[in-house]
Amino acid sequence: MTMAATKDIAATGMEPGAYGARARAWLQENLTDRLRTDRCHDTPATLDELKQFEAALYRAGLAGITWPKAYGGHGLTLREHLEANREIGLAPAPNAVNSIGKELVGPIVLAVGDERQKSEFLPSILNMETIWCQGFSEPGAGSDLAGLRTRVERSADGWRVNGQKIWTSGASKSQRCLLLARTGVPEDRHRGLVLFAVPMDRPGIDVREIRSIDGDRSFCEVFFSDVIVDEADMLGAPDEGWPAATRVLSIERATNRMYRAWRFESELDHLIMACRSDERSLRLLQGYARDLAQVRVEIEMLKGHVETLVASLLAGQEIGPRGSFPKLYWSESHQRFAQIAYEIVSRFPANAGQALRDVKTRMEHLYLHSRAETIYAGTTEIQLDIIGKRILNLSKAA
Amino acid sequence: MSDELDPREFEDTARAVMEACAAAPDGAGRAGLLAEAGLLGVIAPEEVGGLALPLRFAVPVAGAAGAGLLAFPLVESLVLAKALASVDAEEAGRICGGETLATIAWSGVAEDGLVANAPMGEEATKVLIFSADGGAVLAAKSNVVRLETGSDHWDVDAPAASFRCDGPLEGIELDADAVRTLRAEADLLRAAFIHGSAWHCLSLAMDYSQERVQFGRPLSSYQVLRHKMSRDALAAETIKNGVARALSDHGEDENLVRDAAWMNAARLGPAVAENAIQIFGGMGFTWEVPLHRHLRQMRAQAAYGEAADRLEALGHALITSSVNEWYGDTSHAS
Repeated sequence: MTMAATKDIAATGMEPGAYGARARAWLQENLTDRLRTDRCHDTPATLDELKQFEAALYRAGLAGITWPKAYGGHGLTLREHLEANREIGLAPAPNAVNSIGKELVGPIVLAVGDERQKSEFLPSILNMETIWCQGFSEPGAGSDLAGLRTRVERSADGWRVNGQKIWTSGASKSQRCLLLARTGVPEDRHRGLVLFAVPMDRPGIDVREIRSIDGDRSFCEVFFSDVIVDEADMLGAPDEGWPAATRVLSIERATNRMYRAWRFESELDHLIMACRSDERSLRLLQGYARDLAQVRVEIEMLKGHVETLVASLLAGQEIGPRGSFPKLYWSESHQRFAQIAYEIVSRFPANAGQALRDVKTRMEHLYLHSRAETIYAGTTEIQLDIIGKRILNLSKAA
Repeated sequence: MSDELDPREFEDTARAVMEACAAAPDGAGRAGLLAEAGLLGVIAPEEVGGLALPLRFAVPVAGAAGAGLLAFPLVESLVLAKALASVDAEEAGRICGGETLATIAWSGVAEDGLVANAPMGEEATKVLIFSADGGAVLAAKSNVVRLETGSDHWDVDAPAASFRCDGPLEGIELDADAVRTLRAEADLLRAAFIHGSAWHCLSLAMDYSQERVQFGRPLSSYQVLRHKMSRDALAAETIKNGVARALSDHGEDENLVRDAAWMNAARLGPAVAENAIQIFGGMGFTWEVPLHRHLRQMRAQAAYGEAADRLEALGHALITSSVNEWYGDTSHAS
């Protein structure tokens, strides 16, 4: 893949909308057919192709937007980040391979990492040399994360890790893992938790891919057997792990993949415009007019949630539990759309043309993939618990 | 002036005035209280006695009206005072000052011979009636504009009335552009009204669930009810953020963003009241507990703003005119 020569568009002092306009122009030039997610491909884009595209996005000023320049970022604000993500969302662009690195690890390293860690980890995330995965969930600690059992003990060489992680997205292609483990016993719950940046090539790490219902192999089990991790790879002090982890999770819920609302819009546009290319499918679509309108209303409301949180962050406010609102809203409304979209494409005529076959493939995958969306990053039930407890302060006791 | 103010500063004042209004004997009394606090002219120009503030300053006022079950056509007064200012400053001033109690017949056009959904139409002295050309006339009750006997008491606090229109209307005319603006502003104020009403229902449900003990535990300790209230909090937050977005510099299609904020409020608000009734159990189904009044007023607002019709129209518009430059090439289509 050849990327067009691009200037760093991360300039400051732009008019509102200007950053988005430049992002749009860059995408039009660089999002090739091969990478587009609205087309059927005989062979999907390779990891290398996706990494090259993502690195080019960064060089063009469309990733690492808010990170300090000292660590490879573009030193801008969430306003520019939002503008760029609107355009990335509206385009049929592939999902980020290194979103864990950029949207979870980066903020946590900036918050609790030391100078060496910032200088070493952050630039390599943006230029795609280091892909990260997130080692939090365990077989016995999914929603109840504080029940995790993976243990770290001091050893002569640093720290020794033993345990098992699961649902670790992208572990098989990652170079580092943001590992949450404990120094004590599971009964300690939130105490004694510690975060490490574990190199994935250390002896004793065994990664096994798990095939998901959409056929992808995007998440994994990761086994740690007497894995030695350097002291220098500890992020923050012991016991700072849990507060840091909860900060990561609130960021994840609130700002991770900020383009989602606009990607959602793009998926709806794709469905409608493809159906418009065929008289029979257009008639079919008319029967879903109210459903599609409701989907569009929900997309606009999702944008409202996202923009409200961005405004709060720009004003220097903490997001805290409010990150549960967009996560809950997005995951459920996207699922509703996926159900409607699946029903529509399942009724396409047998001799449908290429435009309909393309959108059918996309919506079928979306339908299956969306089932995970109310599970990962804190299930729907966990989000509802958080809202009830931490926002509404509902009493549990008599 | 608006740079120095924060819309939230209006919340406390508005809440206190709504409480006072609840004790007032009639619409005229409530008009006086609202006018005295300057709440009827929040968005009207200063020349007619208004505060000349942006629409976002009227949002907390409409919200307080919804929460306080205000028996007054507040949304109508707010948008009318502003719309009339450039056509008939004196009448706009009388609305701001609480001297004219005016309403709007949201359903039908004069040419139909019958218009409806005019909140507090029985007490109002003037009513804005839409016409088929997109304009409207603010007419006084007369032999030509006659109140139909018997208000629609669906909304028990602000019953809606219908009017017979026999012959050409006389009154202050608004052109189609002014009517479009008036309707757009009313949409957002209605959504804010519904937000206030919905949030109040949720607050009542939360209080009740923490006081009411069943099987030795407060209702709020049961996860099924906690989750129901969490969903209602999400609904209220979604309504609030939708209105805030429509009033912000979002850089997208402003008609779509505003319409979406309105249709969302009209759908989610009543559902919060319905859930609150469920949480109150048998008490929730009584006349005494005010949840049904909230449900009624929110459903009434949804009808005034033609939410269901507009949702359907949006669907057809999306199908015929959605554009995304990434999917413009259909050359490979069958």
